[in-house]
Amino acid sequence: MTLIAPEERRWLLRNLALGLVEYLGVAEPPVPVEALLRHPPGVLQEDLGVVDMYSNLWDATFARLPDQRGSIFVRIDLPSRDRRFALARELLRALVTSEHGRAMGLPEILVPELQESAEYFARQLLAPEALVAAYRKRGGGAAQFGERFDLPAPVAASRWEDSAALN
Amino acid sequence: MSMQALNHLVARSIVDPSVVQAFGNGTLDDILADLSFSGDLRASLADVQADTWAEFAVLAYRTVRAAEAPVIRFQLPSPLEGLRPDAGMAGREQVA
Repeated sequence: MTLIAPEERRWLLRNLALGLVEYLGVAEPPVPVEALLRHPPGVLQEDLGVVDMYSNLWDATFARLPDQRGSIFVRIDLPSRDRRFALARELLRALVTSEHGRAMGLPEILVPELQESAEYFARQLLAPEALVAAYRKRGGGAAQFGERFDLPAPVAASRWEDSAALN
Repeated sequence: MSMQALNHLVARSIVDPSVVQAFGNGTLDDILADLSFSGDLRASLADVQADTWAEFAVLAYRTVRAAEAPVIRFQLPSPLEGLRPDAGMAGREQVA
């Protein structure tokens, strides 16, 4: 098994997120992550879904039912921005454990750093580079970034820093 | 341009199983032929050995990045200019 550098893993995650954004045909933020989960690409049809739950233990978690169908179980009372980020983060767990994800070999590369990978993937899915670059080009700044992309404040700050490092 | 093509291919692979199937069948070159890889780069990618599509993608990333890295050339001063940029000016000051 090839050793993968963090930068290489992030490149892979950016492009996986990009594939889903292109599938959605998103031209403007915010990226409709819940629509993706409810109407996934055919190859992921059995792996994505959303189930609202009452829970105080976690914000969201991905699980497979005995019939192997996967769903993200998400706290019903989460604020919208937290809900979007939690769903996007758990989406990577769904991809990694899906039949297609396993056929791609995603577990071997992403499982060792799954939590960090899931959070990075979520930031990239909710704020894809092309949309962030367009926002910056139009003079958008850090202050309104979270609101424009519908991100929780700490996530917006982290994503803005990532983007600034690239520019 | 090649990196853009690779990005597009990897992005496509998460929603289009035909990419992963082509990798598994050993027919990925048919897909690479439709993308904007140079002949040399396509040949290099055909030589990449990987157990899985994701591993191939990362190794392809290394290959394309290495191919796109700018060639570093030493910039030596011309012997006609002398070794010190201010050598000519120093000489004039001395004469004055």
